[in-house]
Amino acid sequence: MFFEDVKNWFGSLSSIFSPEFLTKALWIALTVIIGFSLVRLLAVLIERYIMRRSTPQRKMIARKVISYSGFVIVGLILLRELGVEVTALLAGAGIVGIAVGFASQTSVSNIVSGLFLISEKPFAVGDVIKVGSVTGIIQSIDLLSIKIRTFDNLFVRIPNEKILTSEVTNVTRFPIRRMDITLQVSYREDLGRVMDVLTDITRKNPLCLDEPEPLILFTEFKESGIEVLVGLWFGKNDFLSLKNSIMKDIAARFAAEGIRFSSPRRSVTLENRDFFELNDKA
Amino acid sequence: MREGIAIWEELEIGQRQCAVWRFPYRHIFVERVDIEWHVLSLPAEGKNQSLCTFIERSGKPVSSAWRHYLAHDFPLVLPVPVLPDRPVVVRPDRPLTILPGESAQFFLEIPVWFRLTSAGGGSIRIFEEPLRILSNTWFGDPLNGELCYSLDIRLHQSIQSVPMCAGSAVCPLHLTNDSNSDLPFEKVCLHVENLSVFKSGTRLWTNGLNVIFKGSEQATQIQITGGVPDFEENLFLASGARQPAEGWSIKKTFSMLKYFTEL
Repeated sequence: MFFEDVKNWFGSLSSIFSPEFLTKALWIALTVIIGFSLVRLLAVLIERYIMRRSTPQRKMIARKVISYSGFVIVGLILLRELGVEVTALLAGAGIVGIAVGFASQTSVSNIVSGLFLISEKPFAVGDVIKVGSVTGIIQSIDLLSIKIRTFDNLFVRIPNEKILTSEVTNVTRFPIRRMDITLQVSYREDLGRVMDVLTDITRKNPLCLDEPEPLILFTEFKESGIEVLVGLWFGKNDFLSLKNSIMKDIAARFAAEGIRFSSPRRSVTLENRDFFELNDKA
Repeated sequence: MREGIAIWEELEIGQRQCAVWRFPYRHIFVERVDIEWHVLSLPAEGKNQSLCTFIERSGKPVSSAWRHYLAHDFPLVLPVPVLPDRPVVVRPDRPLTILPGESAQFFLEIPVWFRLTSAGGGSIRIFEEPLRILSNTWFGDPLNGELCYSLDIRLHQSIQSVPMCAGSAVCPLHLTNDSNSDLPFEKVCLHVENLSVFKSGTRLWTNGLNVIFKGSEQATQIQITGGVPDFEENLFLASGARQPAEGWSIKKTFSMLKYFTEL
């Protein structure tokens, strides 16, 4: 009885693995392997040779368009090989797509926002941007979201819709930037000398641009000192080097020149000294 | 010991020998140990003299800034003078106005960079270092300008008044004011990355520049003389241009008050 069952099972297997079936399976496997490889090869070739002088963002968009379109075409070929009616499927997919679209309006909104972002180009891959409390380097701009790597190496995904409705600062859009440093010097200092010393410090720092000229401005009489704004122009890649060097320069030079930073101070004036002296005696 | 322009010649550094190139603003120490090259670059002050000597290894500076390069076992090294990697905005010591129809020849001193290469065929670049740190500056308006180095110079109209210095190359600049307006020579942006360096027995030179100013509305024409400058004999190429000069000839070069205020 058992041997009979095994024999029947093998018989059914042989009917399934007919030569036609094996040929079709082989054909499908080849289509998958060759099709996907060709799509990848095409994307790489276009990125490396045809678009080799394009920006990283354009390369990324081209690669994704080619890859997604190629994979869809290979998928449709496979479905046709499997005997699925592709035209009916596409019509069905349209109806399903509309239904899914209504059901997922946020995603559709993100896609539309993504298209706006790609066409408006407020930033590109590799730019440093600030969105809300997040600052980082753009890794990719996709249809649904942008991906950012922050400076403390965190991965942040921001939906395109949020980007479109938020204030976005592109930190590295222009080749030069200004760094503002605020100091407070003591009321006892000669402001003319402070300005001369600060001008000399900025002139001697090679990372600080000579032009546009540094801005040195006495901005406010504060509670314990006079506030000075030092605005330094620099090449966008020199932020950290300039920040470190100029802070060291200012601290060292102020110490050498005897210029004092202000520290919180409270002056108490006794209006009626006799009253306190009498109270002390009592 | 080598002095002056001779310091830009091949030098044989034996095993466990330490050579030092002393320039007015920078000292460069190079030591060879087996197949390693140890290099130290230190800022210097003062002496307007360039020389190259060997020093005792015990006398070499102790510093964490020594850089180590692994390279072939070649004893001969060739120091090469190269021009800065970015344009240089030159500001003369005195504002000079060139009247319409006038022209003048100037000699500008451009500090060179020190590039150490292995000598002989198939030379390998070991390192490169500016001999004088120049301040950064921006030339042009904030959107369309370019990042440059800034250099305050004395405007020499005769080569005899240019001091001999192995740390800088002389750039012959011929200015012609071919317009109907005055040309205030306050600063000029030199694309030195497009220029070559030539060496004579006494000085370093760059290609000559011929600048023709035709008015603030028209682009300034700049021509680079292709061959060796003809102000001295027996010049030969020390280093080629970092970048080819294409497209430079129509750039606006002069910065004039009028130019900026009209924007």
